[in-house]
Amino acid sequence: MANIINVQGLSKSYGKKVVLDNVSFEIEEGSIVGLLGPNGCGKTTLIKILTGLIKDHTGTVKIANEEIGAYTKSLVAFLPDTSYLPDWMKPGDAIEYFADFYEDFNKDKAIRMVTDFGLDPRQKFKTMSKGQQEKLSLILVMCRQAKLYVLDEPLGGLDPAARSAILELIMNNYAKNAAVLLSTHLINDVEKIFNRVLMISGGKVVVNSHVDEIKEKDKTVEDVFKEVFSYAW
Amino acid sequence: MLGKLLKYEIKHSARYTATIYLATLAFAAVSVIALVFNSTWLGVMSCFMLYIAGVASVIVTLVSVIKNFYDTLYGRQGYLTFTLPVKCSTVLISKLITSVIWIIVGFIVMGITLLTVFLYAKEKSESIFESFLDSFLVSGLAEMLPSGLVIAETLIMFAVLALLTVITYVGYVFFVVTVANTGKFQSHPKLFGALLFLGIFAGVNTVSNLLTENIPLTFNVATDRVFFAFADMFSVEGTLLSYGIGGTIFSAIVAGGLLALTGYIMEHKVNIK
Repeated sequence: MANIINVQGLSKSYGKKVVLDNVSFEIEEGSIVGLLGPNGCGKTTLIKILTGLIKDHTGTVKIANEEIGAYTKSLVAFLPDTSYLPDWMKPGDAIEYFADFYEDFNKDKAIRMVTDFGLDPRQKFKTMSKGQQEKLSLILVMCRQAKLYVLDEPLGGLDPAARSAILELIMNNYAKNAAVLLSTHLINDVEKIFNRVLMISGGKVVVNSHVDEIKEKDKTVEDVFKEVFSYAW
Repeated sequence: MLGKLLKYEIKHSARYTATIYLATLAFAAVSVIALVFNSTWLGVMSCFMLYIAGVASVIVTLVSVIKNFYDTLYGRQGYLTFTLPVKCSTVLISKLITSVIWIIVGFIVMGITLLTVFLYAKEKSESIFESFLDSFLVSGLAEMLPSGLVIAETLIMFAVLALLTVITYVGYVFFVVTVANTGKFQSHPKLFGALLFLGIFAGVNTVSNLLTENIPLTFNVATDRVFFAFADMFSVEGTLLSYGIGGTIFSAIVAGGLLALTGYIMEHKVNIK
């Protein structure tokens, strides 16, 4: 299988604080990868580098064998951990926006999903609840036929019913030859969908395993997470 | 992609500016109505409000240019803008074009305001204007006025210089906001941004003023023609106006350099919080 992500010797510091320290890993197509680690371990920084939001790093980062740039951004569907749509946008405006900029965006599917998820097409983004905002953002991301989906805490702040609906949305809509990189704290909810986990601690990748390898040892992802990050409690 | 970016830029930034422009035009319309119906109290009130709205439209435009640039690149919307499949230089060009358009519109609205107030005052104080005009004609100053064509060419030249100046200041602002939101400066972006702007403003303007006076390249207005001359502004004779353009050209070159640097930082050094 071809690699979607190729990271070699990646380092990033904020002043004297090293956030990522010589990180290397590869992710191949078809993978659903859980990016796990305690707060401040470097997950979001790694995600920002993959999506082109941080450029002042050292090391090599490639998406589909290309350096991060305008082309790789056309391959990556990104859901940040913050609401990023302009306040004035209504779901219809946001769908038009994505249709204008992303050739792989399925506009009809997005319009259908907005209705299916009970969102009002005329409601402004700023007047939506957090849950509604997250649903709309995720619909926009998952209606793309991207090569890589990067989802930063897509379940944060949602009730269990909504989490389940969001996971279903992700699983039913990602392109099967793509890779999904999903960062979360809620391992229990999502470990059943991962086929690989990447755990980061102190700026380094401390676990990079297929879930099958973990299961062969009669463990769950959560067990490994607790073992690795026991210091954090 | 530039066209699509421009569409959303204008749509987004119009939210800040359209209201004040519409209010200004509404007050201008009321002033005209007051004039037609000869209502003094309505005329005075609407002219006063029109003046306030005209000044506000320029201020709102300038603030919205800065706010829009910051919000859509270095605020939370930066997550959307910087992940679009578009080169950063294209994003920057779209913001520059939109900002310049809005600033020009702002000044046009201000111009309409001043013109309306002037016409209203002229209509209400016709005798004063007539006696002023008589004095002007009697004094012989009218014969020194340039022809209509010369006035038109002069206005076009100053419009070009004004456009260059607008682009120059927008270039400063984009550079300052970008640098202040990159690397070590992100801890105190507003303080650093203000200091950097003042530094660039003072430094470039000082050099620009020296070049305006000393570079032998001037735009000149005589009663019968306009012309450029390779002489400094104090040595061209027989003109109504002589303006050194070396300083403006220097400022525009500096702004062009700063815009190129801004594009480079956005492409290679960006660090969205």
